[in-house]
Amino acid sequence: MATKQEILDALADYQVQCNDNKRLRKMQRDWSKLIHFNADDTGDKFTMNCVNGEIVSFEAGAVGAPDIIVSAKSEYLCDMFWGDLNPSQKYLQGEIRVKASQEDIVRLDAITMIIWPDA
Amino acid sequence: MTELKKVLKLRTIISTATGMAIATSCYLAGIQVATILVGELAWISILLAGFLCLLSAMCFSELTSLYPTAAGIKLYIQHAFNERTSIIISMFYVVLGVAMVGAESFLLSSVLSGSFQIISPYYDKLLWMLFFILLVMFINFRGVFITGLLQDIMTYAMVAFMIGVSIYTFATHDINFSLAAQSAKFTLGNILQAAGVGVFLYVGFEWVAPLAEETTDYRLIGKGMLWGVGLLSITYAMFIVAMYAGLTQEQLASGTPIPHILFGTNLFGTAGTITFIGMSILASVTSFNSGLLNTSRFSYAMGRDNVLPRIFSKLHPKYATPWVAILALGGFALAISLATLYTGQYLFLIMMAAALECFIYVVAATCVIRLRKKYPEKERSFKIPMGYTIPVFVIIVFTGLLLGIFFDVSRDYAGNELFKNYWVAVVMGAFFLLLTFYTFFVVPMLKQKGDERTKTRVKRRPGKV
Repeated sequence: MATKQEILDALADYQVQCNDNKRLRKMQRDWSKLIHFNADDTGDKFTMNCVNGEIVSFEAGAVGAPDIIVSAKSEYLCDMFWGDLNPSQKYLQGEIRVKASQEDIVRLDAITMIIWPDA
Repeated sequence: MTELKKVLKLRTIISTATGMAIATSCYLAGIQVATILVGELAWISILLAGFLCLLSAMCFSELTSLYPTAAGIKLYIQHAFNERTSIIISMFYVVLGVAMVGAESFLLSSVLSGSFQIISPYYDKLLWMLFFILLVMFINFRGVFITGLLQDIMTYAMVAFMIGVSIYTFATHDINFSLAAQSAKFTLGNILQAAGVGVFLYVGFEWVAPLAEETTDYRLIGKGMLWGVGLLSITYAMFIVAMYAGLTQEQLASGTPIPHILFGTNLFGTAGTITFIGMSILASVTSFNSGLLNTSRFSYAMGRDNVLPRIFSKLHPKYATPWVAILALGGFALAISLATLYTGQYLFLIMMAAALECFIYVVAATCVIRLRKKYPEKERSFKIPMGYTIPVFVIIVFTGLLLGIFFDVSRDYAGNELFKNYWVAVVMGAFFLLLTFYTFFVVPMLKQKGDERTKTRVKRRPGKV
């Protein structure tokens, strides 16, 4: 079980990796979304704001009306932000659940795939 | 529970379920239903097929309430059976679904080449086929999406148009139902056989399930499917009878692949031709656009899961679309189109799609039963009433219809034999065996490669090895 602080640390690294990746920034240049992450087992919630492909902020708690909601075990969320987990595999197993359009689901997965192609 | 900023409404779910099913090939399938039975009474088989699809829609609704995700079909088969079965069946569904895109593009090209000539009918068909498949590939490649509102406008306009034209035809043509009921072709056997082909008219309504991820109330998907099938039943029942009445005996006997265009011309002259061509383009492009959209995203996810080669998970650096999957599936659809153009056996694909749909309905109903036994406590926002009665009925009826299709012979309006339908079973069986071989021998190799990549990779998360 990952703690709230562990997930926030993972999100901080995720933000740096995303924002520093030129290829990803180019691909996501017109993608602006407010994303909620829900940890099913701990009940913790997190909000990430992505503007034109740049993660401009993240925080604990569910803030605002989201465009995307991702729900999974806290461990999966933490591993996903560190790039240690293939989100598509977990999604196809039903262990990560996403509420969003098909396009946004691919875009979200693309973040991990572009930064950590071997995940 | 937090609400999404944008949530799909029931109106859009109904229009998507309905819009997915309405395609150019449906008019041809409708005429096939009318040919098997008696044209004036084709509505009986269409409504019967609609009722059976409605029962099947209840199975899909229960499964969607359990697994409200775009990967639903893979998930519920996997949980009901095992992963290998889920890979085989979901890929079988996707591959044959794309084959339908090929048939649809052939028919649409027939509509256009039959209406006006550029070079010659054969080369015109080839040109239009290439044009439409490339157009849809381009739309997918660029990541252009049809918005919910546009889908609503297009679908409801098409439905209103079809119902309006039908009412006009009934008012202006003499349709003698009692005389038709005395025909030797009006038998219970023919009603059931025509209903088997009639299932084709509803192909695609269940593809609305991925929209579950864009709603907060999963019951809307089930409701949308049921309303969609209901709307399709009424629309087709009226339109197919009207089209049959509006065509001349010579036109019916000609075995034309564009009956609706001839019907439009008979009714309203050149204006009718143009309007029906426009409607055909709209129906085809929207249905095969969404077909390619869903299947390419599914192939992308399979590539990421090491079920398909990794190359399928490549995304376009600018548009973030799975371009390799789009290219591969578009190429496959094109190959099917060319094969259809060469052989002229478009009816073969229609039979195959009807059989595939029956097979998938049987699979869905079986999954409902197995999942109820395996996970009786799991929360379902929709549960089919009357216990196992409806799923068992769906299994029996659609197995019967499937066998009925396989043991039948396809004929033209004059009664001449076109092909024996067991060839449909042979082709589907060959595909199934190929996918089984792939799943048992190729997928393990891909998975092993994926595992090796993951093992050699150093974990980034602090404290994890």
